[in-house]
Amino acid sequence: MQGQVAIKAQNLVKYFGKDENLVKVIDGASFEIYKGEVVALIAPSGAGKTTLLMMIGCVLDPTSGKMWLGEDMVYDNRWLTRDTRKIRRQKIGFIFQAHYLIPFLNILENVTLLPLASGIDEKIANQKAMELLSYLDIADKAKSMSSQLSGGQNQRVAIARALANNPQIILADEPTAALDAKRSISVIEMLKKIAKEQNVAIITVTHDERILPYCDRIMKIQNRGTVFVSTDLAVL
Amino acid sequence: MINLAIKDIKHSLVKFVVTAMGVGMLFGIVLIMIGVYRGMQVEAEVLLNDLKADLWIVQEDTLGPFAESSRVHRDLKDILFAINGIDKSEAITFQNIQLPKKDKKIRVVAVGYDIYGAINPINPERLMQGREIKSDHYEIVVDDKTGFGLNDEIKLGRNIYKVVGITHKAVSNSGDSLVFMSLKDAQELQFLYSNKEIQNNEARGIKNSESDMVNAIIATVKKGYDIDKIAKDIKKWQHKSVYTDGEQREILTKNLVEKSQKQIGLFTAILIMVSTIIIALIIYTMTLEKMKSIAIMKLIGLSNIVIIKMVVEETLLLGVFAFLFGNIFSHLIYDIFPKFVVLLIGDAWMLFGVVLISSVLSSFIGINKVLKADPASAIGG
Repeated sequence: MQGQVAIKAQNLVKYFGKDENLVKVIDGASFEIYKGEVVALIAPSGAGKTTLLMMIGCVLDPTSGKMWLGEDMVYDNRWLTRDTRKIRRQKIGFIFQAHYLIPFLNILENVTLLPLASGIDEKIANQKAMELLSYLDIADKAKSMSSQLSGGQNQRVAIARALANNPQIILADEPTAALDAKRSISVIEMLKKIAKEQNVAIITVTHDERILPYCDRIMKIQNRGTVFVSTDLAVL
Repeated sequence: MINLAIKDIKHSLVKFVVTAMGVGMLFGIVLIMIGVYRGMQVEAEVLLNDLKADLWIVQEDTLGPFAESSRVHRDLKDILFAINGIDKSEAITFQNIQLPKKDKKIRVVAVGYDIYGAINPINPERLMQGREIKSDHYEIVVDDKTGFGLNDEIKLGRNIYKVVGITHKAVSNSGDSLVFMSLKDAQELQFLYSNKEIQNNEARGIKNSESDMVNAIIATVKKGYDIDKIAKDIKKWQHKSVYTDGEQREILTKNLVEKSQKQIGLFTAILIMVSTIIIALIIYTMTLEKMKSIAIMKLIGLSNIVIIKMVVEETLLLGVFAFLFGNIFSHLIYDIFPKFVVLLIGDAWMLFGVVLISSVLSSFIGINKVLKADPASAIGG
């Protein structure tokens, strides 16, 4: 199963420090992630999962390499646009360990915030948000505050927020870390469904081995910062 | 677009209102302080307005009784009529005295005037109870702030005075209440020594000739005559200092109130600075509390302008609400101040402008924090 390329990295490198203090965190990562698939990003703590996620998310500058998001080359040893936030706004959705919803906005407002800030008409943004909330089976909580929802419900709202701007890519940073096993499976199944139905590439950082079988491929950061992608759980 | 500032304020409404009330009290005190200064300006001119004199003739090389000691002979009021254009002329005295009331003393300024004269310092509009002075001796008109009532008796010097009239808001430039008495009584109080002292002075060969002195002569000028020219003539021929009404007001408002103006101005400026710093710290704290949300907003792609707008709007709303509370607060408490406080709409609008400017300045510290917020901090817990 290979759809359209959502993310392509070529010899992506990230070093921290200088000279004898130089730390090679990501050392020449080359991979392709396709739309419609869920890829689990795994590695021991401190191996560079978050660093790689931040580079793909256009939050952290790589040291060198090339990167494409969809058909657009965004990095060629330097960002090809000054406004990386615009890339995030248009192409990427984020899901975090905790839901990190804006506490002073209600559920619907949390989902419509980014579309409205992007200039989308309020009526259209509300309609799309309600569709997403219905899709995630949480539409009845649209006017509630996040403090009134359970952890699982809030995480579903966070997923709706990540989808609100029709992104090509969703980057999820341990989205099941705060959930119990049952809810973790539920969330990963939901992500898989979204990836297929919305044709979105999802990279999810995880330590939770229970959710790995639900992912299409596994991306592992090896020792010395090399990145290995496989469909075979056994080789990892 | 969702108004993030309003949403955030609604989310923590009680905290916002209490904070705005606290800052509002500071603004209220600022308004009161400006009001005290305005009150001083009004008080400084009460007597001038009530007397309606065109000229003040005082001891040579002095600024007159409001600024320094001045003594002139009472008969100068009659001599002045020799000068062409003088319409009315009266002698007047001013002195600080203490009215004994039970176990305390009340400081007032006593105005002595010729009760049969052509210029009466008691403004009928201020006379709330009783009457003006009709007897040459032992009658006094007091202001209601002194706490005395009609027919009360007050011992001053050797004599007992009966309160025959009560005025309202008759105050001197110092803010002390004005009391009125006949010129003879006032002269006696100011210039007549005790019997023992008179005997002592006579033994030393000193004549007690000061009893027919007054502090100033006030005069009005007939229509069509040049007040400045008459003032020059009096200076030249009578060897006195002469001030027109305008000059006397300048002495009162500029020379005497100026120092208070500077002092109150300084306090006001400091209070506004303190308020600005407090607003800045509150906004800084409010921004700190939202740093995770701000990092998330930046990470998901919200522009800095949207987030900065939220901070600036919150600061401005805090300033505006604090200003409104300040206004309410100042109007609730202004009457309990011993000094006359005048709250003017113009001053409130001026403060409103200052509040808006200081709010915008205060928001810079929050904006700086927003600009420095790292979107990467939202990832990785």
